Amino acid sequence: MSWKRMAAIMAVFYAVVGILPLFVGDMRFVMHILIMCLIWAVVASCWDVIMGFAGIFSFGQVAFFVAGAYCSAMLAYHLHIPPVWTILIAGCFTGVLGVLVGLPCLKLAGPYVALVTFGVHMTLTPLLRGKIGIAMGSGGATGLLTIPPIQLFGWTFSSEHLVPFFYLTFAVTIICSAIILIIIKSFWGTAFLALKDSEEFATSLGVNAFKYKLMVFAITSFITGVIGAFYGHYVGMLSTRMLNLDLFCTLMVMLVVGGIGQFPGAILGAFITVTVNELLAPLGMYRPLIMGALVAALVLLLPEGVIGLIRSIGSMWRQNDPQTIPSS
Amino acid sequence: MLKASHITKKFGQLVAVNDLSFHVEKGEIYGIAGPNGAGKSTLFNLITGNYPYEGKIEFDGKDISGFPPHRIAKAGIARTFQIPHIFPSLTVEETVGVGSRFGAPGGLDRKHVREVLRFVGLDSERTTPTGHLNLLGKKNLMIGAALATKPRMLMLDEPMAGSNSKEIMSLMDLIRRINVELGVTIIIIEHFMKVLAELTKNLLIIESGKMVCCDAPECVTSNPKVIECYLGEAYAECS
Repeated sequence: MSWKRMAAIMAVFYAVVGILPLFVGDMRFVMHILIMCLIWAVVASCWDVIMGFAGIFSFGQVAFFVAGAYCSAMLAYHLHIPPVWTILIAGCFTGVLGVLVGLPCLKLAGPYVALVTFGVHMTLTPLLRGKIGIAMGSGGATGLLTIPPIQLFGWTFSSEHLVPFFYLTFAVTIICSAIILIIIKSFWGTAFLALKDSEEFATSLGVNAFKYKLMVFAITSFITGVIGAFYGHYVGMLSTRMLNLDLFCTLMVMLVVGGIGQFPGAILGAFITVTVNELLAPLGMYRPLIMGALVAALVLLLPEGVIGLIRSIGSMWRQNDPQTIPSS
Repeated sequence: MLKASHITKKFGQLVAVNDLSFHVEKGEIYGIAGPNGAGKSTLFNLITGNYPYEGKIEFDGKDISGFPPHRIAKAGIARTFQIPHIFPSLTVEETVGVGSRFGAPGGLDRKHVREVLRFVGLDSERTTPTGHLNLLGKKNLMIGAALATKPRMLMLDEPMAGSNSKEIMSLMDLIRRINVELGVTIIIIEHFMKVLAELTKNLLIIESGKMVCCDAPECVTSNPKVIECYLGEAYAECS
């Protein structure tokens, strides 16, 4: 897909999302869902960059998200550093963490990378709940309950007033999406794709596999950490429950729904998945069942996700359009 | 131009390349042949830095032993693979662009990319996804991407494998043009003696990682040791 079409899809989509608060601004529940959609859209996009574009099966995305959230929250809570700074520090922290996790993964093939990165995810719960975590100020099993809200230019953005917070999240998400789009369409993105398709051929043409693989780890974990930190200051409390499997699975569903390697599909996938997940809430315990069935059906019917569907509708429409049929 | 001295590569107990030394002159087409499993492709992988090895390889007087593959590419050695490697996610022009962007000194050169595409005959398929090309197209593309790195030496690993006689003619013509028009030194691994006899000036025969002989093609083909390693002792005695 050309970058113009990617940007066009994103622009139309974000324009629609951007005016939604005019209609639902007084419904707290809906506004909260919209904010969460925006946050998950960034996480899913990052996962798409590392998995769909670079072809690295990193399962550490939720871990980077939680690490970023905890890092920023602890700095702001214990050291009273303004959240705007702690969010950036948290991003740098998870970026470095991403490189450290990425280093052992360079020599590993597909499924083993998944094991190593998921191992990082698994160690995070006992680390944060255990003595080391408590000593660092993670709050142990209780978690952190009073994380200070974000303050910017004298304004306080918190979950008290959801409309301003929505627009702050909106701006952050657009910036992150734009960065991701630029990376994908720059020569970095080409290097990621080339390394995914054939590392041997790519390196024989001069692509530095070491550099670009670490770069993708650094970039995706930086952005994920930033948005994780942002999330922490939004909800105001953190616990290790986020590291449970359900969130991980929901994120994967977002990616599958949107289409892996079909950016900006992951953004659409995040919105669809979060919304459907909330709509299915009355089903109670049957919700995961229905969700799973939907995903299975979707994978079979739309292997390229919603972006694949949009593309095939687009090409069908072009074929039926008499103006584009050659006159011969 | 390329000087290999006493290269040895062991995979566990197996000695894939055994104390091999050879010299490739600037501007020539140098052939490498040998029975299956003789260590020809391994030798290529050693030169391009895919594995560590014992011994020393010099390129243009510069020691390149121990360089990783991407630095070898930047140093001016390009290669192709026996099984066509392509990037299914990219188009023809983007694939050649990868070579230009990452391998050529000075980075992406769009004009050069277009020239290379014309040179290998893929100019009309610039926007085609690489997966849609036929076998000859994929081979031409692989050579094109290699040429985009502006190499001084090109190493071709069995470029004729799986091609029919018409495709072989077209590839031979392309290889000759790369050598003559672009002035690129070429090392070619090939099984077709006819191809080697027509293209190369010097031919290195290896078996079990060891050099059997190295001479002009017409001398090599009548060498009893070569006949022995290909056809067995009985034939060697007959000749």
